[in-house]
Amino acid sequence: MARDDTSIRRRTYLKGAGATSTLAITGLAGCTLGGGGGDDGGDGSGDGGGDGGDSGDGGGDSGGDGGGDTTPLTIAGTVPETGSFSSLGEDLRRGYELGVARMNEELDRDVELILRDDESDAQTLREQLQAIVSNNDVNMIWGSFSSLLVTAGSAFAENEGLPFLGIAFAYEAPHRNDNYEWTFAPFPKSRDVARSTLGTLQLIPEEERPTNVGIWEPNSGWGEEQAQYWEDTLSEAGYDVVMREVFEIGSSDFSTLISQAESNEVEVLLSNPTPPGGITAVNQMQSNNWAPKMLKFVRGADPSAWWSALGESGAYALMCPGWVPGLTGNGNAALRETFFNEYDIESEYMPANVGGSYNLTQVAQQAVEAAGSVEPTAVRDALRSTEFETVIGSFTFEENGLPTEGELTAPTGQWWEGAQRLAYPDTDSERAIDFQYPIPPWSER
Amino acid sequence: MVATDLLTQSVVNGLLLGGIYALAALGLSLVFGIMDIVNLAHGHMLMVGAYIAILLFTATGITPVVGMLLAMVLMFGLGVLLQKVLLKHVVDEGIEQPIIVLFGLALILQNLGRVLLGGDARTADIGLPGSGIDVGLAYMSFPRTVTFVIAVLLIVLTWAFLQYTKTGQAIRATAQNRTAAKYMGIDTDQIYVITLGIGTALAGAAGALLSMLFPIDPYVGWSYLLKTFAVVVLGGVGSVIGTLVGGLVLGVSENLGALYLGGGYRNVVSLLIFLVVLLVKPEGLFGGSGGGE
Repeated sequence: MARDDTSIRRRTYLKGAGATSTLAITGLAGCTLGGGGGDDGGDGSGDGGGDGGDSGDGGGDSGGDGGGDTTPLTIAGTVPETGSFSSLGEDLRRGYELGVARMNEELDRDVELILRDDESDAQTLREQLQAIVSNNDVNMIWGSFSSLLVTAGSAFAENEGLPFLGIAFAYEAPHRNDNYEWTFAPFPKSRDVARSTLGTLQLIPEEERPTNVGIWEPNSGWGEEQAQYWEDTLSEAGYDVVMREVFEIGSSDFSTLISQAESNEVEVLLSNPTPPGGITAVNQMQSNNWAPKMLKFVRGADPSAWWSALGESGAYALMCPGWVPGLTGNGNAALRETFFNEYDIESEYMPANVGGSYNLTQVAQQAVEAAGSVEPTAVRDALRSTEFETVIGSFTFEENGLPTEGELTAPTGQWWEGAQRLAYPDTDSERAIDFQYPIPPWSER
Repeated sequence: MVATDLLTQSVVNGLLLGGIYALAALGLSLVFGIMDIVNLAHGHMLMVGAYIAILLFTATGITPVVGMLLAMVLMFGLGVLLQKVLLKHVVDEGIEQPIIVLFGLALILQNLGRVLLGGDARTADIGLPGSGIDVGLAYMSFPRTVTFVIAVLLIVLTWAFLQYTKTGQAIRATAQNRTAAKYMGIDTDQIYVITLGIGTALAGAAGALLSMLFPIDPYVGWSYLLKTFAVVVLGGVGSVIGTLVGGLVLGVSENLGALYLGGGYRNVVSLLIFLVVLLVKPEGLFGGSGGGE
C-alpha cells in the first residue's frame, strides 16, 4: 500500500546517521570517481578516474551550515509508487530517506521531506505538489523519475520560484529551451550517456568489437535527443548505425522492431524505453529467438523489477541509472553503510536508484550549507556557484541547471546474477564487474 | 526497399496477432449483433480475464492456457450476472442507457484493478515447453503460435455453436427478429443472458491469451476496446467469419504500418482502415444490413 505522506525527522535514523558521521570523520582516502571533476574529458577511453577502494571516502558532507539561521528546511517531493515507473518508487524513496536523515544530523536545522505518490502521471504530480506547497512553507522541491515527470515538476517549481532538483532526467533540451532559473539536474545527461556507451564499447578488445548499431527511438523529445547523441557519437567513432527506428512510448508490441534489427544485423541495440516496455521487449526478443550482442536500455533496465520480471533472461543488459554499485568515493561508503543498517535486504548490492536519489540529497545539503539559509534565491545562487561532491562524482552546474559539460561520467551498470554492477568506468571495486560481452544466443543461455 | 524476409516476418507476426484480435472482437460483435448493445466495458472485461490468468500463473505457476479456461468460466458468470442484475433494466431503453451503464462499469473495473492490483503492468509466461517454428522467410514465435491456434479454435467452436446447436440457432433467430423469435417460443430474455455470458467469456479468453504476449495494466481496456471495435466495423457486426478476417487484417495492417511508416504509426494505420471502411462500406466487409433486427 502506498504511503501518502512522509515526514522524516532526525530521531528516526540515529543508527544510520551515526555510521555516516563516523565515516565522514574517519574517511580520509579522498577517492575520486568517474573522472573526478573533468578526467572523463569526453574521449570515452575508459579512464574513469581513480578508485581507491570502497572504504574511507572523504564524504563531502561537512557538518553544519553555520550562521544563526536555523529556519527549518521543508522539501516537497513526489515519487512514482504506482503506474509505469512504480518499480522505482521505493528505491527513490529510500535514497531520499537516508539523505534526509543525514541532513538532519549534519545541518543545524530541522529538515522535513513531504513525499507523495505521483502515480507516474504528470498531472497527478502537479496536483500533489500543489497540495503540498499550498499547505506548507516549502523551500525546495525534489522531483520524481524520468524526463516526463521531472519536467512536470520542474515547470511547477519554475512557476513557484522554488529551487528544484531532479534526477533520472537525462533530457537536455528543456534546460536550454525553457529558460530554467530554478531547475538543477545532478544527473548524467544524454551526451554523457552517449559518451559512456562509447566508453563501454571500447572496453571490448578491438578484434571482437561489434560495428553494427541499432537504435530504437521512443517518440518523445528525450527519445529523439538521446538517439541523435548516440548516432552522432558512435558514427564519429567509426561505428555503423544500421538502424534507427521510432516507436511509440507505451507500445507493447516490439515484434516489428525486432525483425528489423535482425534483418539489419544489429549487434549493439540501444534504446531508452520505459521499464515495462524494456521488459516486454526482452521477452519478445526471447520468443522471437533473437538477441543483440550488446543491449543497453537506459531507464528501461534501471529498476529492480527488471530482474524480478526477467530473471536470467535479463542478464547482460546495460543501463545508465546515474549511480551503480561499484562507484567509490564522495560518500559512497557511508551510503552503503547506512543503507544496509537501515534496510534489511538480502542482496549485497544496493538498488541503483537509491544512489541516484541519495546524490540529490547531497546536492541539496551542500547548497543549503553554502547558502547558509533556506531562502529560495540564496539556495539557487548557491546551486549555481558551488562545486558539489556526491556519490556520482564532483561537478558544478551551468546557469541553466545542466551539470557542466565533461564533469560527470555516466556510470554504466550491467545486470549480472540478479544485481546491477558497475561495468563502466572500469574500477577495481569488488562490486564492479568486468563488462560481460557478448550476449550469447538464447539457445545457449 | 524492405527486404522480403522482413516483409514476410511482419505479415506472419500480424496474422498471428490478428487471431487474438479476432477472438477479442468476437464477443463484442455477438453482443452488438444480437442485443444491439455497444459494450463499452468489453476491453475492461478482457483486462479482467487477463488478470485472472496472470494471478493464477503467478500464484501457482499454472500456464495461462489453463488460466484461460478458468477466466472463461468466471467471466461467463460475470456476464450472466451483469445481464440479470443490471442490463435487463436498460437493454430495451434505446442506445444511450446501456452505453452509460457499460461506460460506468468500465470505469469501475479499471479502478478496482488499480486499487486491488496496483497500477503496475504485469505479464505471464506461457509456461509450456516448446519452441518457435522456422518457416524459411519467417520465424513463428512459440507464444504467438500457441495463442493464435487457441484463438482460432475458440472462434471456430463459437461459430459451430451458433450454427449447429439449438441454443445457437435460437440466438441467431433472436438476432434476426426478436419479436418473431418470442412468438416462436424462444425465451429471448434467457438468450440475452447467454449471449452476454458468451461475449464476456470470449473477452476473458482473449485477455488470458494476450497476457502471454503483452503487459497488462488496469488501463489497457480502452485501447483494446478501440481495436476490437475496429475489427467489428471491418468485419461486419455479428459475422463470425467477418470478425476473423477483420482481426487478421488489423493485425497485419498494424505490423505493416509499423514497418513502413514507423512504430508511431502502428495504431494510426489501423484506425485509418477503420475510417475508410466506415465511409466506403459501413456494413463491414462481411456484414449484412448491420446489427440485430
